[in-house]
Amino acid sequence: MSTLAAPLSVAGTRHSGAPVRTQNVMAAAAIANIVKSSLGPVGLDKMLVDDIGDVTVTNDGATILKMLEVEHPAARVLVELAQLQDEEVGDGTTSVVIIAAELLKNADELVKNKIHPTSVISGYRLACKEAVKYIQDNLTVTVESLGRPSLINAAKTTMSSKLIGADAEFFSEMVVDATQAVKTLDPKGNPIYPIKAVNILKAHGRSARESVLVKGYALNCTIASQAMPKKILNAKIACLDFSLQKTKMKMGVQVLVSDPEKLEAIRARELDITKERLQKILATGVNVILCSGGIDDLCLKYFVEAGAMGVRRCKKADLKRIAKATGAAFLTSLTNMEGEEVFEASMIGEAAEVVQEQICDDQLILIKGPVARTAASIILRGPTDAYCDEMERSAHDALCAVRRVLESGRLVPGGGAVEAALSIYLDNFATTLSSREQLAIAAFAQSLLVIPKTLAVNAARDATDLVAKLRAYHNSSQTKVEHANLKWVGLDLTEGALRDNLAAGVLEPAISKIKSLKFATEAAITILRIDDMIKLDPEQKGKSYEDACNAGELD
Amino acid sequence: MAPKAAGDSAKVKSSSVYKDKSKPTDIRLSNINAAKAVSDAIRTSLGPRGMDKMIQAANGEVTITNDGATILKQMNVIHPAAKMLVELSRAQDIEAGDGTTSVVVVAGALLDAAEKLLQKGIHPTVISDGFQKALQMALQVIENMSTPVDLSNEDVLLKAAATSLNSKVVSQHSTILAPIAVQAIRAVMEPIVGGIGARVDLRDVKVIERIGGTVEDTELIQGLVIAHRAANVNGPHRIEKAKVGLIQFCISPPKTDMDHNVIVSDYAAMDRVLKEERQYILNIVKQIKKAGCNVLLVQKSILRDALSDLAVHFLDKIKTMVIKDIEREDIEFVCKTLGCRPIASLDHFTAENLVNVDLVEEVSGSGGKYIKMTGCQSGGRTVSVVTRGTSSAVVAEAARSLHDALCAVRCVARRPALLPGGGAPEAAAAAALSKAALAAPGADHYCLRAYADALEVIPSTLAENAGLNPIETVTELRAAHASGSASGAGVNVRRGRVTDMRHEHVLQPLHVTASALALATETVRAILKIDDIVNTLN
Repeated sequence: MSTLAAPLSVAGTRHSGAPVRTQNVMAAAAIANIVKSSLGPVGLDKMLVDDIGDVTVTNDGATILKMLEVEHPAARVLVELAQLQDEEVGDGTTSVVIIAAELLKNADELVKNKIHPTSVISGYRLACKEAVKYIQDNLTVTVESLGRPSLINAAKTTMSSKLIGADAEFFSEMVVDATQAVKTLDPKGNPIYPIKAVNILKAHGRSARESVLVKGYALNCTIASQAMPKKILNAKIACLDFSLQKTKMKMGVQVLVSDPEKLEAIRARELDITKERLQKILATGVNVILCSGGIDDLCLKYFVEAGAMGVRRCKKADLKRIAKATGAAFLTSLTNMEGEEVFEASMIGEAAEVVQEQICDDQLILIKGPVARTAASIILRGPTDAYCDEMERSAHDALCAVRRVLESGRLVPGGGAVEAALSIYLDNFATTLSSREQLAIAAFAQSLLVIPKTLAVNAARDATDLVAKLRAYHNSSQTKVEHANLKWVGLDLTEGALRDNLAAGVLEPAISKIKSLKFATEAAITILRIDDMIKLDPEQKGKSYEDACNAGELD
Repeated sequence: MAPKAAGDSAKVKSSSVYKDKSKPTDIRLSNINAAKAVSDAIRTSLGPRGMDKMIQAANGEVTITNDGATILKQMNVIHPAAKMLVELSRAQDIEAGDGTTSVVVVAGALLDAAEKLLQKGIHPTVISDGFQKALQMALQVIENMSTPVDLSNEDVLLKAAATSLNSKVVSQHSTILAPIAVQAIRAVMEPIVGGIGARVDLRDVKVIERIGGTVEDTELIQGLVIAHRAANVNGPHRIEKAKVGLIQFCISPPKTDMDHNVIVSDYAAMDRVLKEERQYILNIVKQIKKAGCNVLLVQKSILRDALSDLAVHFLDKIKTMVIKDIEREDIEFVCKTLGCRPIASLDHFTAENLVNVDLVEEVSGSGGKYIKMTGCQSGGRTVSVVTRGTSSAVVAEAARSLHDALCAVRCVARRPALLPGGGAPEAAAAAALSKAALAAPGADHYCLRAYADALEVIPSTLAENAGLNPIETVTELRAAHASGSASGAGVNVRRGRVTDMRHEHVLQPLHVTASALALATETVRAILKIDDIVNTLN
């Protein structure tokens, strides 16, 4: 069989062999280089300007990569990787991309030194498996042994690299409280923390420290009329998923009137249908009506007369959460099984207080002290809109981190401690193997060091010196029994020294570290396995049989 | 593409002037070269250590795959002879479902051999007939080599599925996917009475792709999975001892025709219109309740809403879970799985048309919610498999790999015999053919020998892709097979040397290999017999 690739006529371009791999690796490295400088507590931010001139200032790897328009397919794998980490873990998006790119770079070196990619791949798989096992067995601490401070520390570690890092203490308390407030049980009885239920609202103006956590639900809507009360204690709430507007007849129903007096009667009837509905609701003592549709101005009168509060155009998702929190029924219609319209007292939800408050330029409705379940909303304040957006992303990352800690209950030290420990462990592990995977595992170990190195470089410290010291500590912790506690040692980037990060409270959820290692390895392997790239031309310009024939390619 | 620049200058000349395509030899050579190029393109993805291809389609969508049929389908080749090889791999996909890469690689090697024979001056028809003889011998050899399988032996089937999965991107999950494939096929196969093997209709295995989670979360469900959530607003999410009904009518107010109008001339009539709508729906819902139905499946309707908001409200009230938008083509599968009949009109909505299901629940995963029905008491032989993965590319590849594994097991069910893998059958056939060549007179001698050499492309490519020395491996293999015909020696990729593949539990269905050889040989014969291309371009 000829090894020379004969010309294969495809409607597009085709590259194969080593150049494809090198090209893919370079594209991946380019992506990693973009986010590299934003890693760690002293990492810097990126300002991204889109085509209409909107500015985003962020430190979050996933957000940066999402905003870039990446063309190269291999680079897109990395962008997807960051997105995946964001969805599955919510934190560590930058580090996962950096590790994957470094793995690829080292693999490419090995391949250039005539080691077959399949050996590299199997070596990486083995190394990843060993690394995950080592983290689980040796490098984790349980939350129970550290208590609530550990949750706060995990949140603080995540936030340390963000804009709100200066106020990490303040925000971490807030985030931990919010997460614990939304705790629920899944059908199997395990506690889950649906962080989507934490409602984050942004309002610019005032300083970041004036952000507040509301034990209840903050709704970004206002009361329908100024004449309504702005504060109601012991609120009885109805959640309606239909409009309180003039009833319209369905398509195909025509109103044909021969007598002008009847016209008035029909108009009145259109109104009365809605009025009757409203009065049925108000008659049960409801004093807050939240409505996903509109409320007619004509109906407002009845609200005001009854001293009730009416809110129109609430978001459906908000309404559902409020219904759950207050114990109200989420109603799509009032009809009962007899075909009549009724409103029963059992459909009412209750809360201690519903109040409209002025925050910044906006009026917000706060539902405080719902009876059925606790709820939490965070109102973020900041000097500019861009600042608020970044605060929201940081708060989201921190919420995710706390949730992971609560759900999995295990933590690992941060500051490059895990990576350094793994690199020593894998180096030693590699030397015990006599197969060709040895070199790949050593390369894996080498690649992990990119995290402490980048952390040190970003902090303007001597990376070589610090990483060497770090490795020395971890080596002795793994070889000498009396030094076992040195395994918690990581970088202190403000001082440029080493310290026990467990004691210093730099902690990350173990699941986040494990998943990012797994994802990075998977992504690197996916790219390494590719040895051929075919790029098809767009359809309209596609090469037809006739073109190829005329060009003489088929001869 | 190197010759492109040259091609452009040729274009000027050839577009206007009549070009004499002349000699059949040129045509044959051009065809052989184009077909060989296709086979070269996917050669590197053969075997457990094969590489992947990244294909960026015209719309920017990227496919990363290892499956020969998928690569070729996406590649969009132009040359007519190259297209024949694409067809070939598709044919193998339909016939056996697995071995789509190897069939093309074998065809490429055979063409290469044929080219050399043509240069020797042997007539194409003689080569073609010689290859046919060789094929018959090779099929005989591999059939003798195969071991019959008892279909109740799950272990053996598992090995066949695992072998098929080992070359895929998702190979590290083969321990999870292989049992799923085997259980799925065993659940749906119907033994042929008085015959050998069993009949398997792959349509009875429904593979659903869902993004979210990892491939490890892929599960086999003895029952029905519907890939979207229930339509209820605040209805039940879990029903035990469910009574399920499948309806093909809508629960929404009927629309008047365009030229019909309901005329309201009185305000009292307005109330009546509204009330009538409520009563209409209530009537249907009451009938549903009377029949005792608590899970309702509604076929998708394009003419009007299958469910009005009011209907959902009522169904919530009677605590009935309702799932709408069941696609028309899925109705048959749903009926077969649940053992029910679709109910076309309200009059037939009675208790005897409902079926009992032990558990219906709405499962919420990271990629959204879906409905799972398990324990269908009167259900037929069907299963559903939910494949999961971290991104759409991974899920799609997992589903493709699972399909290949299902096909591999199906092949065993159809023709219950297994061969050792790792290029062992090809090497054995090659050894037997070269021996037979010595005794054969005339041109057949050359043809048989060439065929034997061509078959060795499989072990040699396996070795090459695994980073082993192909020459060393193939010669070692040849030696192992020269001594005895019963040897199962093949390329052991994991250990990097030649061992008996039967001990390594690398087994592949006889049907896959036999069909690959037969299809490849026939295609090659067809290509050899072409001596002119007539372009009917205007």
